[in-house]
Amino acid sequence: MSHLTTPAVVMGIGTGLTKLGFAGNDSPSFIFPTAIATRTTGAASGRPPPAAKPAFLSGPGGNSSSSGGNLASKRGTEDLDFYIGHEAIDVSNTPGYGLNYPIRHGQIENWDLMERFWENSIFKYLRCEPEDHYFLLTEPPLNPPENREMTAEIMFETFNCAGLYIAVQAVLALAASWTSSKVQDRSLTGTVIDSGDGVTHVIPVAEGYVIASAIKNIPIAGRDITYFVQSLLRDRNEKDSSLRTAEKIKEEYCYVCPDIVKEFNRFDREPERFQKYLVDQGLGRKVSVDVGYERFLAPEIFFNPEIASSDFLTPLPEVVDTVIQATPIDVRRGLYKNIVLSGGSTMFRDFGRRLQRDIKHLVDTRIHRSEELSGARSGGLDVQVISHKKQRNAVWFGGSLLAQTAEFKGYCHTKKDYDEYGPGIVRQFSLFNVP
Amino acid sequence: MLLLQYHNILIQSILQERFAPDTQPANIDQVISDFDNVTYHVSTPESKTKILISLSIRCFKDLEKYGATALLKREYGEYVVQPENGYDFSIVVDLENLPSSQEEKELLIQKIALLKRNAMAAPFEKAFGQFDELAAEAAKNSLDLSVPEDSGAEVMAVHYREEESFFIRASHDRVTVIFSILFREDTDRVFGKVFLQEFVDARRRSIQNAPQVLYSSKEPPLEIRNIAGVKEDVGYVTFVLFPRHISRDRREGCISHIQIFRDYFHYHIKCSKAYMHSRMRFRVAEFLKVLNRAKPEAVEEKKTASGRRFGAR
Repeated sequence: MSHLTTPAVVMGIGTGLTKLGFAGNDSPSFIFPTAIATRTTGAASGRPPPAAKPAFLSGPGGNSSSSGGNLASKRGTEDLDFYIGHEAIDVSNTPGYGLNYPIRHGQIENWDLMERFWENSIFKYLRCEPEDHYFLLTEPPLNPPENREMTAEIMFETFNCAGLYIAVQAVLALAASWTSSKVQDRSLTGTVIDSGDGVTHVIPVAEGYVIASAIKNIPIAGRDITYFVQSLLRDRNEKDSSLRTAEKIKEEYCYVCPDIVKEFNRFDREPERFQKYLVDQGLGRKVSVDVGYERFLAPEIFFNPEIASSDFLTPLPEVVDTVIQATPIDVRRGLYKNIVLSGGSTMFRDFGRRLQRDIKHLVDTRIHRSEELSGARSGGLDVQVISHKKQRNAVWFGGSLLAQTAEFKGYCHTKKDYDEYGPGIVRQFSLFNVP
Repeated sequence: MLLLQYHNILIQSILQERFAPDTQPANIDQVISDFDNVTYHVSTPESKTKILISLSIRCFKDLEKYGATALLKREYGEYVVQPENGYDFSIVVDLENLPSSQEEKELLIQKIALLKRNAMAAPFEKAFGQFDELAAEAAKNSLDLSVPEDSGAEVMAVHYREEESFFIRASHDRVTVIFSILFREDTDRVFGKVFLQEFVDARRRSIQNAPQVLYSSKEPPLEIRNIAGVKEDVGYVTFVLFPRHISRDRREGCISHIQIFRDYFHYHIKCSKAYMHSRMRFRVAEFLKVLNRAKPEAVEEKKTASGRRFGAR
């Protein structure tokens, strides 16, 4: 059959960014915002929207087509008049188009929009005939099985895709860590720290199964770091303190230090640690912005959240420790030994090293106390945080890695299986046998 | 998006990124897929500045028979190299040796992104060439051009997918392109029939200049009936291109349009299904609203201040 030779399609659709590509590649082919711009008003008649009447006059019930999904009254090809990704952002500034985000908190909210999002990403961007390709989709932990079924219905019934595998993001992040030289045995047991733009998850995975009861979320992630950098810039009255500048400074200059007090002293001793960032404001204007303590203070909010927020005060290492302590006792050793980072906000230099030191410290204190109390000697516990080169797109990369194996197609549910059993079939996927 | 694009957007974006004047050379190793079982491999095997783009296409043997090699040579001349192992055709672009002006660069990128289209164009170009010859000959012999006549031109068959092929045949007054259409799904077949009927009717209704389209779901058209390997029980769509469709200035566009027909067709079947689903969801939501309204109201019994009920004895 033709789909034996074609590469599988790996789609990692997240709240903020969508990553599309083919299995076997080391980076996604397309990374764009998960946004879709659709026609808002006047779609039913095909006329340009009446500009004279402001939107608030027509009332909430007046134009049902502006809700985004309903096309029941279309007359022509309005259902094809939409854009996704960067094009959607561009076109949303023009009148007549409204921007929608079909995914909220990692889960699909609007299936109509999502179906069209897929339609465009498959045919316009990936340019593949879905009947010839296997698909690997990712889903967040705690995704309800009903959502899986809906996804399968769309993939099989609308697109007739040859085969489908839906993988949990955390498991793929673990698979991606196999590229690190620190990993000796390719196991699917470990703790995944997934920090993107909006939220940070700590997810324990035992032999390919997510331990759902122990998952914890932290409301500190990339965006908070950017805001923190921005507030520092504003405090100093820098000439440019836009969000974009803050983001650039975060990405290019920030790193994690072992000790804040010592780092402050070092900055005072070595003035070359203060740097300058040249902002191109366009139109030939260039402004120089000083980059100072925020270089190490910004990522520090993971370890000392009190410097940036007042409502969440637990440091990341402590959260990781609590999560592992909440799992069944027989897997904890494996979880401590394999703590894997994933997502853009874990890319700071020495992030992994600091995390490892802090968790090790917590664990050692606890072991020491129990030794004192019981009088018995403990064998010690290995704590290892693994960082690797593919961290930024770890989930997608893990998917690509698994989908290119020869066995992958055996794990997928095929169109034939779906026709035989119905959508319920995707509630269960066999796990990847670890080679 | 009503029409599919002809070029590969990914190759285009990779090259645009690489061709930009102030980018550092980097390693690339990407496998890219395109419609009709086409696979590209973009890599930098020797050095970071030499980008090797290889194309693997299922029906390359067929295309080669009809002059694909010459056509690709014409299009990509100096860039053509020995095909990479496992692929059918390769070109190398040296980043240190690019055309100087921006327009020329854009032109080159566009040309490379159209690699698949150009490879598939070979049989069409050949057929159009044959048409030119036959038409000239017919004019010389002062044949009546309005009388269709069986020409001796060979039917070119391209088996571009596993179970589907297209056939091209030139004669002195038209070029006939026949696609065999096979549906794996019953739902698709129904949608497909409606679509094809629209194609057939379009000429009758509004667009008089459109090529004639014929559709038969059972038996193959006469033109290809005597070709080996033509199966029954497969749908056949016939496009009859008249001289006005293949006049010199329209040829390139015509080739692009017609060779993407199958993908266009399937894309729209899928879009229609998506639209149907959207309407179904809307309807279900409406019905749910009605159902929620239909809950019986809890009847509250009225009492007097002293606790006595009305009407009860």
